[in-house]
Amino acid sequence: MITPQPPRGLYLHVPFCRSLCPYCDFVVVAGAAAFGPRSRIGGYLRAVEREIDLRAAAVDRSFGALGSALRTGDGTRAPLESLYLGGGTPSLLPEEALAALIARVRDRFGLANGAEVTLECNPGVDERGDARAAVQAGVTRFSIGVQSMNVDALRDLGRRHTPDDVSECVAAVRAAGATSVSIDLLADLPNVSLESWAASLSDAIALDPDHMSVYALTLATDGADAGDADDRLATPAGALAWRARAAAAQDEERGAEELELLDRRLPAAGFDWYEISNWAREGHTSRHNRLYWQRAAVEAVGPGAHAFDGVRRRWNSANLDAWEASLHAGELPPGGADEPLSEEGAAAELLVLSLRMSTGVVRDEAMRGGFGEALRWGESNGLLAPHPDDSTRIQLTLRGRLLSNELFSRIV
Amino acid sequence: MSDIPQSRLRNFSIIAHIDHGKSTLADRLMEATHTVDPRQMTSQMLDSMDLEREKGITIKARAVRLEYAAADGLNYGLNLIDTPGHVDFAYEVSRSLQACDGAILVVDASQGIEAQTLANVHLAMKMGLVIIPVLNKIDLPASDPEAVMNELEETLAIPREEVILASAKEGRGITEILEALVKRIPAPSGPLEAPLKALVFDSHYDTYKGVVNYIRVQEGRLKMGEGITMMGSGAQCLPVELGYFRPQHVPVQVLQAGEVGYVATGLKSVRDARVGDTVTTTANPAASPLPGYQVALPLVFAGLYPVKGDDYPALREALEKLHLNDASFTFEAESSAALGFGFRCGFLGLLHMEIVQERLEREFNLQLIASAPSCKYQVHLSNGKGELLINNPAQLPSPNHIDEIREPWVNASIVTPSQYIGTIMDLSTDKRGIFDGMEYLDEKRVVMRFQIPLAELIVDYFDQLKSRTQGYASLDYVESEYRVAPLVKLDILVNGEPVDALSTIIHRDRAQGSGRNLASKLKELIPRQMFEVPIQAAIGGTIIARETVKAVRKNVLAKCYGGDITRKKKLLEKQKEGKERMKRVGSVEIPQEAFLAVLRTDSE
Ligand SMILES: Nc1nc2c(ncn2[C@@H]2O[C@H](COP(=O)(O)OP(=O)(O)O)[C@@H](O)[C@H]2O)c(=O)[nH]1
Ligand code: SF4
Ligand SMILES: [Mg+2]
Repeated sequence: MITPQPPRGLYLHVPFCRSLCPYCDFVVVAGAAAFGPRSRIGGYLRAVEREIDLRAAAVDRSFGALGSALRTGDGTRAPLESLYLGGGTPSLLPEEALAALIARVRDRFGLANGAEVTLECNPGVDERGDARAAVQAGVTRFSIGVQSMNVDALRDLGRRHTPDDVSECVAAVRAAGATSVSIDLLADLPNVSLESWAASLSDAIALDPDHMSVYALTLATDGADAGDADDRLATPAGALAWRARAAAAQDEERGAEELELLDRRLPAAGFDWYEISNWAREGHTSRHNRLYWQRAAVEAVGPGAHAFDGVRRRWNSANLDAWEASLHAGELPPGGADEPLSEEGAAAELLVLSLRMSTGVVRDEAMRGGFGEALRWGESNGLLAPHPDDSTRIQLTLRGRLLSNELFSRIV
Repeated sequence: MSDIPQSRLRNFSIIAHIDHGKSTLADRLMEATHTVDPRQMTSQMLDSMDLEREKGITIKARAVRLEYAAADGLNYGLNLIDTPGHVDFAYEVSRSLQACDGAILVVDASQGIEAQTLANVHLAMKMGLVIIPVLNKIDLPASDPEAVMNELEETLAIPREEVILASAKEGRGITEILEALVKRIPAPSGPLEAPLKALVFDSHYDTYKGVVNYIRVQEGRLKMGEGITMMGSGAQCLPVELGYFRPQHVPVQVLQAGEVGYVATGLKSVRDARVGDTVTTTANPAASPLPGYQVALPLVFAGLYPVKGDDYPALREALEKLHLNDASFTFEAESSAALGFGFRCGFLGLLHMEIVQERLEREFNLQLIASAPSCKYQVHLSNGKGELLINNPAQLPSPNHIDEIREPWVNASIVTPSQYIGTIMDLSTDKRGIFDGMEYLDEKRVVMRFQIPLAELIVDYFDQLKSRTQGYASLDYVESEYRVAPLVKLDILVNGEPVDALSTIIHRDRAQGSGRNLASKLKELIPRQMFEVPIQAAIGGTIIARETVKAVRKNVLAKCYGGDITRKKKLLEKQKEGKERMKRVGSVEIPQEAFLAVLRTDSE
């Protein structure tokens, strides 16, 4: 029987963006809500501070107060290993507010020595924020939403920045003394040829980041994601229309070739893949994201944020008004929770998450776990192969990374 | 028995082309004779099945007793036997007519004579029934009674003086019709004192009362308490209940010669009390049965399979139950490599097939998939090995064992405005039809006659006819004979494996086009697999068309952080469910929907 665990990380969702990108499925409010006299950032900050307090108090009640040292087993709990400020565009937060938030988390949840503190940041001049102030506030890692180094593609995606802005932004966070710099890129972009994508990739590598996340653009053309749980917002009609057009201009073959290209280019540039969509130089993998993939407990605050305590996944309502109103009244926000998984369900989930990572799994253990049929299918179809560094383990092949859902849908 | 003497009974049907107003007129007649409490009156009263109301067609025959106080001051009992109006159910019409002495012929005054008008009138005349012609819908501005009366006179030799002008919708002409029923239709004449002879003209199954036979008593009396025998099957029973319809069941003690009603037999199988059989008393049986009916033989065959394999036993049970109410379809177990276990069913026509499938799905909560419809072929084997009757392409032996194949033909008549003559001619000859002549009904409308292979008719002839004529043409057909044809079996191979459910027997000249079409459709419908999948159309060993489904290149959910994990799992579970619902052909997974889509669309 697995029991709930104290959180090892905290995700803090900042839902504000200057403008809305039509492909975006995150919980975001944009425009006047994010900027100017009608900005809702102030109200949000008061509420999120309140949620930090309430969630931390609940953690204290369950797992004991914050201890002074790491994992002492003396009835106190350890401080967090990671804080992740994601969005939206957290770099839009005023510098004092950012500092106050991090300080509050440090105060209520605790931040271990050397903890990773990630700030998601957009490269546009009016959205990148002050990197120096961020580092001073405690940010160690910047995750920059580059998406592409192709000026036309950026415009088509509704982004506010140009490739030059990206270069400036990266230079600024470097100058500020960031420990780790990550960039996000998108693949399978509509109307972008393999050649221009390859050029964009070269330009991205030339930025010399420490970490890269590359995602094939996924377009929820029916807005179905707004769906059943209230952890998503409805997609505006204009965005749906854009997605329908864009999806028609995507190309499975080209997308696959782009991802294959990554596999040749990035190792040559000193990056290793360590998760299906993530590449890092030595020592720069994302600690926060590894917590997710290990099924470790991660607390979460902010509208639409998802938390996991090792047993149960829960989420906050994505509705900013409802979320804020409860917190202003001193109560935890509305939201929902999944049923805890059965033992097999949890094992399947862990297997899928583990296989997404380059470390893979110990073959014999996984076979014994009841997944033999799926794994053998993966092996015979060339999706799984022995781990190059450890012959007792298996990991996804390149083909397996591209076709992972074919395997995973046989595991869940 | 009611207190109305035989001399004041009238038994009649209403015959009409579909939509000319038969059901509406029946409603008006019931209202005018106070047969139904006005508060309980719904429209299309006699169509009680949901499906009948939705499709606007009468599927099952039904009977109702109207009590009418006529102008002569006497009370009459008028038995209305409702009939289906669609060509697939022509056999039901003929059965109903056999229980009648007259028929109201309803013709839409804005449409004129249609194909089933002709077919039904010819049938009624052949049986010697008195015909009461009614021009309905005269309220419509587009109605043209004069022209239609001309048509009736010219084409059917129905004198215009006999025609009653009516609007079932507005209740006009109803009294004239009721008076005509009394005055023009002869009273039944069967002797009351003779041994019982009652004709079973329909039946349904009731959980409590067993098989309920709808009967017309021709001679003698049927009494509660007296044992009866079905002369055809030999089954014996004591009536559980006797009565007539208003339209609900009204039990009585006696039904006598001339009356129409029902007898609940308590029998558990419709086979024991078949439609067309003669009911007599066990103690004092009639010497010979009434002339029965020709059993309606299925013309169209298709495999019905449960979408979910475990529904097979439920499907069997559903077929058995439905068969109790509709003995006109047949079924026998068969299995298909692609679709699993199912039943090969025979139907009277495509509409009948659609109706049976819909009833199975609705009334028994099943999800079904039907293979391509086929007809029954005569296969003459070589080397004197005799003849084979097949209704499933899978049963066709290889060409070297076959001398010749014969296929059923029908005689089709089409009534159409004359501007469509050209397009109908094109359509019909394109479907291998042979033009058999044409008559003008008036200067604007014609009856065209064709001989045409049934197989062509059941593919999409009817839909094409409707769409090419904006719905103005009507079709009727009767089976004629079997003729030799250069037929071949067209197989579809997926990754080298034949998909039996997609095999068709087809004219050699069409195989190429149809094969190409099927292959390219399948290409769109079969999802990419882990490997490249060739799709081929073949006759015997010869490939006549080929397409390729490319291998899947990319199926990955890129992001997998906090909230994505739950969402990702849902997506994977959906993909898994999708996989589970797929049928495997060799190592290729084909979604059920692909079969449905290919099988539902025409092969043109
Ligand atoms: N205008 C008009 N419409 C009618 C009349 N009788 C029937 N209809 C309509 O014609 C359609 C077909 O009638 P229905 O009784 O179902 O025809 P059936 O198929 O012969 O049973 C329905 O929409 C009726 O409402 C009539 O006298 N006048
Ligand atoms: S900037 Fe990022 S979070 Fe904001 S709308 Fe665009 S994609 Fe979404
Ligand atoms: Mg009707």
